[in-house]
Amino acid sequence: MASSSYSNAPCAACKCLRRKCMPDCVFAPYFPPEEPQKFVNVHKIFGASNVSKLLNEVLPHQREDAVNSLAYEAEARLKDPVYGCVGAISVLQRQVMRLQRELDATNADLIRYACNEMPPQFGARSDTNEQNSGFYFPSQWNNNNDGSHEGGESSSM
Amino acid sequence: MTLKASQACAACKYQRRRCSSDCPLAPYFPADQPRLFQNAHKLFGRSNILSIIKPLDAERRAEAMRSIIYEANIRDRYPVHGCLGVVCQLQYQIWQVEAELRAAQAQLDMYRQMYYQQQLSTVAADDVPSQLELGMALPYIDALSLLHNNNTNDDDDAVASYSYNSYSSLYMDARDVWVEDTHAANNNNGSSMAFQSQLVASQPLEIQQEVVRDCDEMHPFFDTVDDRQSYVDSKEAYESSSEESLKDTTQSIEHVGENELKTAAACFTLTSVN
Repeated sequence: MASSSYSNAPCAACKCLRRKCMPDCVFAPYFPPEEPQKFVNVHKIFGASNVSKLLNEVLPHQREDAVNSLAYEAEARLKDPVYGCVGAISVLQRQVMRLQRELDATNADLIRYACNEMPPQFGARSDTNEQNSGFYFPSQWNNNNDGSHEGGESSSM
Repeated sequence: MTLKASQACAACKYQRRRCSSDCPLAPYFPADQPRLFQNAHKLFGRSNILSIIKPLDAERRAEAMRSIIYEANIRDRYPVHGCLGVVCQLQYQIWQVEAELRAAQAQLDMYRQMYYQQQLSTVAADDVPSQLELGMALPYIDALSLLHNNNTNDDDDAVASYSYNSYSSLYMDARDVWVEDTHAANNNNGSSMAFQSQLVASQPLEIQQEVVRDCDEMHPFFDTVDDRQSYVDSKEAYESSSEESLKDTTQSIEHVGENELKTAAACFTLTSVN
């Protein structure tokens, strides 16, 4: 087969799709042949046509970021078909809330000291031990067995 | 009942198919919320959605559909970065709050030491007022205002220092963080979060300006997914998240602290201590 026009190896996308990799292939810059799994994951979860449409909707200088984020989400979804990367978002959101509560409590202690009030005892603050209250994760994210998080406490759903 | 049976779900409506009574997508895409399916279809496609949920049981299927809808909504809102942008922004927030917490705890430790020294000196000489009582308020004000100013400056610098080169490497780190999350979420998250903090601290984040702005309005996942109605109306599912309310709380605590300090400082008079 004459392939003298194309000196470059086909990109991972065209290799996976078993088609000729054209010079203007939209996938070629972002799915190098050295990373075949990246496109396989993205294609499995989102589909090549959807990815192509998404890439065409963003500016050229944003496409690499878009592809990287899609690859991240696809890999997360393959590892966790139920929650995908949304599970990680939930974990981080809870972490932010927990840290903010701890910060608020520490600032409250500082105010007490500044006002020359009696300080609380060391380690007696209840919210520092509050790791599982309001823990909405399902069992795979939480080692609690109270079942309050089973299937997610999506009360407004 | 006849009306409800004849009404096609949003998925079948969008694709102009006949919506059967056992349509697998009907429970998750009500007819009055067409945008949900449009976003999900745009990102995943109907067949991919079905292949994701097919091997799952009914309960996990519902959860999977909620996360799919959530992910698609995020992608609709942030077409370039999607959920990865949200993850990065949350990591950055964690790093910020942890830095603030460390500073506050250091300040608190200092005051505790001063307090106990004061207790000891009170026991030794009961009627001698300590200078600690007099000077305690002042460093506190400076530390808080310093923290606030530093955080504001760091926030602007971190957001402004956006480079596409570091984003690619950040993707690799976020992937590792995701793996850390899944394995460490059942245990104390301290080690994984410390790992994330190190990642964020070592590599300045480059996130779209609109992601930085809009992430403040995001609901936590489990609140957002349930609030379909408000999403349909005006994307208000992302409004007034915990981050926004927490920010208000922090600011109010700082404000209260300064007022109380000024009042407290006025109560003390300078005396000599020997």
